[in-house]
Amino acid sequence: MALAIDVASGLLIAAGSFFILVGALALFRLPDVYTRAHGTSIIDTAGAGFLILGLMLQAGFTLVTLKLLFLLAISFFTLPVIGHALARAALHEKIAPKLAEDRRGRGRNSAGDGA
Amino acid sequence: MNFDLILRIGTKLILPFILLFAIYVQFHGEYGPGGGFQAGVIVAAVIILIAITFGLNAAKRVAPRGLVERMVPLGVLIYAGTGIAGLLLGGNYLDYGVLLPEPVSGHLLGIFAVEIGVAVTVSSTMVALFYAFVERGS
Amino acid sequence: MESLINMVLLTLLAATTIAIVGQRSLLGVVILASVYSFLMASVMIVLDAVDVAMTEASVGAAISTVLLLGALHLTKTREEAPRHGRLLPLLLCAAVGAMLVWGTLVLPPFGTPDAVIHQHVVPRYINETVRETGSPNIVTAVLADYRGFDTLGETTVIFIAGIGVMLLLGGLRRRDRAQDSAAEDQR
Repeated sequence: MALAIDVASGLLIAAGSFFILVGALALFRLPDVYTRAHGTSIIDTAGAGFLILGLMLQAGFTLVTLKLLFLLAISFFTLPVIGHALARAALHEKIAPKLAEDRRGRGRNSAGDGA
Repeated sequence: MNFDLILRIGTKLILPFILLFAIYVQFHGEYGPGGGFQAGVIVAAVIILIAITFGLNAAKRVAPRGLVERMVPLGVLIYAGTGIAGLLLGGNYLDYGVLLPEPVSGHLLGIFAVEIGVAVTVSSTMVALFYAFVERGS
Repeated sequence: MESLINMVLLTLLAATTIAIVGQRSLLGVVILASVYSFLMASVMIVLDAVDVAMTEASVGAAISTVLLLGALHLTKTREEAPRHGRLLPLLLCAAVGAMLVWGTLVLPPFGTPDAVIHQHVVPRYINETVRETGSPNIVTAVLADYRGFDTLGETTVIFIAGIGVMLLLGGLRRRDRAQDSAAEDQR
């Protein structure tokens, strides 16, 4: 049983690390603010979520698990809001998206934009 | 202005928890990490968060400028007053053992009062600085 | 394992510092300083100084970033090109850094129990804190009780610094307003 929990938590932590790695790669490789915000949101949700789940399995039924649960809830709640606010601020500053699809979507939503 | 609806709702929902955490840090400081300084900074962060998300006027409704500026010296007064209370009760300055008949609970009471003084000064100073910067800029 | 974490954190700290030095946009400098504070808080946690870590995270990373952004709002956000040569500051920094490193050479290794600093009052704090003050957190007991005078001084310093900045910024604001109202009266 203990072995099963260790294996499960190890897998979860590995998955979290993988997603954080993917997010970090995205930060380096993607072209502009909006796509990078997408990359960091992978770190925020999938990466941190899997890591904390793995740590919760390691901690067992203790106060630490409860605290980690709160951490998970808070991060799932605040980080998307922060990402959204960042993207909104970038849009507000009129930073144009670089990818063609985003531009097309933006042009369709705001007709007469001249894009 | 419906521009940042998600941000406003998110802030509104998270604010009570930040305040609760500040209270936890303040009153749990004798048992775990934390204390007046950290709690004061977290309380100031709440006010600044309100100011950033909802505007300066909303923050001033929560923490009026006059109140904040009076709280800055109030915290130092609470701290120094705790010391003088020890002096009046026959001990040394900042000797908490004489505050209560039992020395150990006196020490706990003294630490409690002093931490509240620190929290009041720190939080109000941070908020007052923020107000000063923002008003100068606008 | 712990030394590995330390090495990673310290490398990141060095990288952040170099990035700060190379950065011309002051906005970027403020954000990188916030990153530096968070890394420093992590270092403090590795050193088991959770109280300091909490202070560093809340003050260094959160509040001071906001206040610095407020200050940037009042001034320009680009760094001016240096007016004097860069050789002298570089030499000065190198000399001071070398002196600091030289100073650490004679320090006892980190965490040795028989270092001088751990012989004076520390045993008494560790042995007697819970019995004397009833507070299980020795850091809080030392800060608020044994070293109460120091903390009173610290609080007063915060108070004075706050008053000073408020006078610098707010006093000017009030004078402006007085001038404005005087100008309106003349009209």
